[in-house]
Amino acid sequence: MGGLKRNKKDEKRSKRKKKEEEEEYYEPDNLDEEVVPDAAKKNVESNDKLVPEDEFGAKDYRLQMILKSDNESRPLWVAPNGHIFLESFSPVYRHAHDFLIAIAEPVCRPEFIHEYKLTAYSLYAAVSVGIQTADIIEYLKRLSKTSVPDGIIEFINLCTLSYGKVKLVLKHNKYFIESPYAEVIQKLLKDPIVQECRLKKDADTEILTVQEKANSQIQFTGKPVTKKETEITKVDGEEEPVVPEDISDFYNKMDKADDDKDEEVTETVSFEVNQEKIEIIQKRCIEMEYPLLTEYDFRNDIVNPDINIDLKPTAILRPYQEKSLRKMFGNGRARSGVIVLPCGAGKSLVGVTACCTVRKRALVLCNSGVSVEQWKQQFKMWSTADDSMICRFTSEAKDKPNNCSILVTTYSMITHMQKRSWEAEQTMKWLQDQEWGVMVLDEVHTIPAKMFRRVLTLVQSHCKLGLTATLLREDDKIADLNFLIGPKLYEANWLELQKKGFIAKVQCAEVWCPMTPEFYREYLNTKTSKKLLLYVLNPNKFRATQYLIRYHERRGDKTIVFSDNVFALIHYAKALKKFYIHGPTSQAERLQVLQNFKYNPKVNTIFVSKVADTSFDLPEANVLIQISSHGGSRRQEAQRLGRILRAKKGAVAEEYNAFFYTLVSQDTLEMSYSRKRQRFLINQGYSYKVITKLAGMEEESDMMYTTREEQGHLLQEVLKATDTDADEEKLPGDSGASTSSFKRIAGSMSSMSGADDSVYLEYKKPTKHPLFKKFRG
Amino acid sequence: MSESSSKKSSKHDLKSKTLHCKNLHEYLKTLSSSVLDRLYIHPITCLAVYRELSEIAKHYIIRIIFVEQPVPQAVIASWLSKAYAKEHKEAVEALTELKIWKESSVTGGLPVWELNPVFKKHIRVALLGGGKNWFMSSHMEADTKPRDIAFLDAYAMERWECVLHYMVGSHQQEGISADAVRNLLHAGLMRCDNDGSAIITKEGFQFLLMDTAAQVWYFILQYLSTVEDKGLDLSLCLTFLFQLRFSILGKDYSTEGMNDGLLIFLQHLREFGLVYQRKRKAGRFYPTRLALNMAAGQNQSDVSIREGYIIIETNYRIYAYTDSNLKVALVGLFTNLIYRFPNVTVGVLTRDSIRTALRSGITADQIVGFLRMHAHPKMISVGSSILPPTIVDQIYLWEQERNRFNFSEGVLYSQFMSQNDFETLRDYAQDLGVLVWQNERKRTMVVTKSSHDDVKKFWKRHSRGNS
Repeated sequence: MGGLKRNKKDEKRSKRKKKEEEEEYYEPDNLDEEVVPDAAKKNVESNDKLVPEDEFGAKDYRLQMILKSDNESRPLWVAPNGHIFLESFSPVYRHAHDFLIAIAEPVCRPEFIHEYKLTAYSLYAAVSVGIQTADIIEYLKRLSKTSVPDGIIEFINLCTLSYGKVKLVLKHNKYFIESPYAEVIQKLLKDPIVQECRLKKDADTEILTVQEKANSQIQFTGKPVTKKETEITKVDGEEEPVVPEDISDFYNKMDKADDDKDEEVTETVSFEVNQEKIEIIQKRCIEMEYPLLTEYDFRNDIVNPDINIDLKPTAILRPYQEKSLRKMFGNGRARSGVIVLPCGAGKSLVGVTACCTVRKRALVLCNSGVSVEQWKQQFKMWSTADDSMICRFTSEAKDKPNNCSILVTTYSMITHMQKRSWEAEQTMKWLQDQEWGVMVLDEVHTIPAKMFRRVLTLVQSHCKLGLTATLLREDDKIADLNFLIGPKLYEANWLELQKKGFIAKVQCAEVWCPMTPEFYREYLNTKTSKKLLLYVLNPNKFRATQYLIRYHERRGDKTIVFSDNVFALIHYAKALKKFYIHGPTSQAERLQVLQNFKYNPKVNTIFVSKVADTSFDLPEANVLIQISSHGGSRRQEAQRLGRILRAKKGAVAEEYNAFFYTLVSQDTLEMSYSRKRQRFLINQGYSYKVITKLAGMEEESDMMYTTREEQGHLLQEVLKATDTDADEEKLPGDSGASTSSFKRIAGSMSSMSGADDSVYLEYKKPTKHPLFKKFRG
Repeated sequence: MSESSSKKSSKHDLKSKTLHCKNLHEYLKTLSSSVLDRLYIHPITCLAVYRELSEIAKHYIIRIIFVEQPVPQAVIASWLSKAYAKEHKEAVEALTELKIWKESSVTGGLPVWELNPVFKKHIRVALLGGGKNWFMSSHMEADTKPRDIAFLDAYAMERWECVLHYMVGSHQQEGISADAVRNLLHAGLMRCDNDGSAIITKEGFQFLLMDTAAQVWYFILQYLSTVEDKGLDLSLCLTFLFQLRFSILGKDYSTEGMNDGLLIFLQHLREFGLVYQRKRKAGRFYPTRLALNMAAGQNQSDVSIREGYIIIETNYRIYAYTDSNLKVALVGLFTNLIYRFPNVTVGVLTRDSIRTALRSGITADQIVGFLRMHAHPKMISVGSSILPPTIVDQIYLWEQERNRFNFSEGVLYSQFMSQNDFETLRDYAQDLGVLVWQNERKRTMVVTKSSHDDVKKFWKRHSRGNS
């Protein structure tokens, strides 16, 4: 017994130790200080410590959760550690789903039972879109099969009471701090720092009380869906007598609250703030536990000119796109925040629509020259904007701003530290002088917080909209976004979109390629970096690639082959006589290759390095083969899958209309990497089929590397390669990037912080959210 | 020249042994003919055995049952066209093994089949009636508190789960009798630890994942093999089991006319939930579904009393809708359990958890079979394959991972004097197709064990020819 106990203690100690190590890991990145409200440091996970384990080592919550007698008609379990489980087959699934997505982070959403997690951030997001604390608790209670643990209620109270009460509003080009709660404003005003920031007019210290009748709702063009949707849910409620009345009642009420709130007359208290001290007051408010929500009352902004842009009538918003925009413009003003949609689900349309709704100058930031072009295309396709209104600002295409309405540029252009050309300098100046109505941040997950902050200090904008496909949650840098941009406004369910045909149905497969004996011997005997080359250039893998390419070319598919390792990329592409794109490929050549891939029936396969991970829009591609990848990065896996997710036309008949192959060499590091990489997508409900043998490969004629001899040559070549060849492609960093405007940062955010691996270590539930560790000292 | 041969070791067979559950036929054929004859005295056993036979075997019996002389084998063989020779052979084998007929020859050496007279006599009784009443009597006044089927099912499951509970070692439940423990030990499902407490064995783990009918049958078979030591009459016990099989669920039967041995046997059955008795001396008993299904062994699919309760997701999550400790324990055999909620347990299948199960002797087949058998109705309603195919594949892959060595027995030849000698022998072995492995540089080769003699002879001849 004693021995056992000691073991456990040791374990704990080692865990703590690990945590400490992790902390150190984060340290270098902690240079810039930032403040986060205290309440956000709370972590429900810590409620767990005292929970007894049952005889099978599971956490035993049976005592804390009392089963309700009508539990079968209710869909939720709320665990005391903040994890929520939802039955997707429950008759009240829709009700619960809409509610949970607003208040909690989805952890995994496969077919039957979805898991969500309550976090300080998710609750912050909930409050900021206007859900009240009491409502959250009440509804949670009603939906739950069991009693809701006290700890959870306490947590919700803690996290939400002070959140969302105070807003920073820009009205008539003056900044106001506004709140419906007079006592909160009073409290803020007593603080000396806030006092200082306050703009005092003629020593008049009175607080403005405004009676405000908010305007009716924003209408998006081509909107008709929502109304129907609510009707459907209501019908649902009636048809299914199983729905406990309290749930459907409440749901309808919540629904209304969302829609009709704006009709109500609200009384708000506000005071004006000195524009120069916005940053200071923001920080101070966070310290005082009242983080400011930024909202932009764009319709009452008379200083910034409207731009003449509208959605084309042909642009039709899909229900989920509309829903996400609704969250953003819910109360007639524009909220800042992040919208998460799978790749290929039409993120750009959401961005374009947002710009057309605000109708003020818009700045679009993305992360490569190619995607700048693509954004311009998107604007021209969906909106009435023409060339004269859109200005590109990249190292290669510097359109004259000429007081344009939409500026599309890259993150690296804005944050560029070196000397710029005179022309660029002028544009930059102009850009900085502007007061932007809306700033759209594409692929927002790829930007490190530091760079991001620089963008924010350089450019003034009223409202920020982040767009991404993969807001991976353990990475604490992602959490920063909550306070830099705003809360997550919406996250779509991949599986649902797939079922409805908005994104392609993808068959994911992992192809196991056995190592040839020679390669495996070398693999075992080589030190670190060259191992990678050995398993990437494994002749069996090569043949599998060749076979798959041929197979799909015969079917008339368009295939992209990804390889992170450039040495392998070039070797494969040259051997198979295909085009390839990697870092040094010039912008012009890239576009040419992509054009050919799109339109030339003879070019059906291209090889790309990780430069194509994000924002390369290749709607034609429907097959993806991955031969080497960035360690265990789940985000890269998801991004890559995104390249083939765009819904394919006329391919509904088949069960799957896109294919995603990952080739792994058996018994090598790749196996465990690929297991890690898949975790995100598996949680989204994807499943990977393991293929141990490709049927028909043996019959294929003139395949390469079939003989021992050829394989031997290949091995020689690999062994001759230098260690640098084995490295992954180094993408030009901040310095010396002048030759290329694109900047590939995919995967670098976490690797720069050294967090790549610790992400997985950290899975063991830290007692405190890692984000806050740095603020302890 | 030198010839040296050494045995290449092939001791282990990594593939774990699966628990084999005999069906009725396989069990009966292990019994001696005297026991079988005693069994065939009871028309009920004849009927039970008859029902278990294949259609063709049944047909043969019916056709010759009233023929008083032995029937020539050729005649019977002629009843079936040549295309069904295999079926014919199987039927003949089964009948011989069960000692229903035996081979003999009449004068003139004509081979004939001679029906076992005991069997012949009593199957006629079973089919036509007559003789004394051979079925359990149910003539008595009605039970004052009759039990319905639902009650009996619940009772049977509860009793049976007691045994399983004991095996998985969950503490909350009442224990089982020393006899039952002894039986578990005897069956090899559990073994005694150093300190005398029983712990579960590999076979025990496999046993847990079998369906209930198979479990009961296996358990009872093991039990039967010990009855004689307990002073009970095996044939009587078996007959009684067969009688149970023909009884009606929800009906009560009298214990009248049962001898002491049988009454003891009845008490044992009662403990495992095969029969229900309110009191030991109640004078009546109700057979339960377990007893009715049991004698069917594995030939019939489990008429499941229970509803499935397990949901498996494509992300390896497992949700078990149950509050029973036993079910949780069973799922826990191969799952990493995370949370216990009042009516659901959440777990996840991991490589480690599956490997732990595999290491304790459970096979991937059994895990998949178990999951399929207990799949939640929601999973069944979704469609074609009940379980997510990727999960099933992965479980098998995890099992294969452990079986990457193939062991084949062989004999090593080494230390050849010349390359020429080596090549001659190697080519010879290769032509025979018995060469397992060879290395030219080291002049060593391995041939299959069975061909060792051949190769050795050839070598002797060859070397003699050379010298």
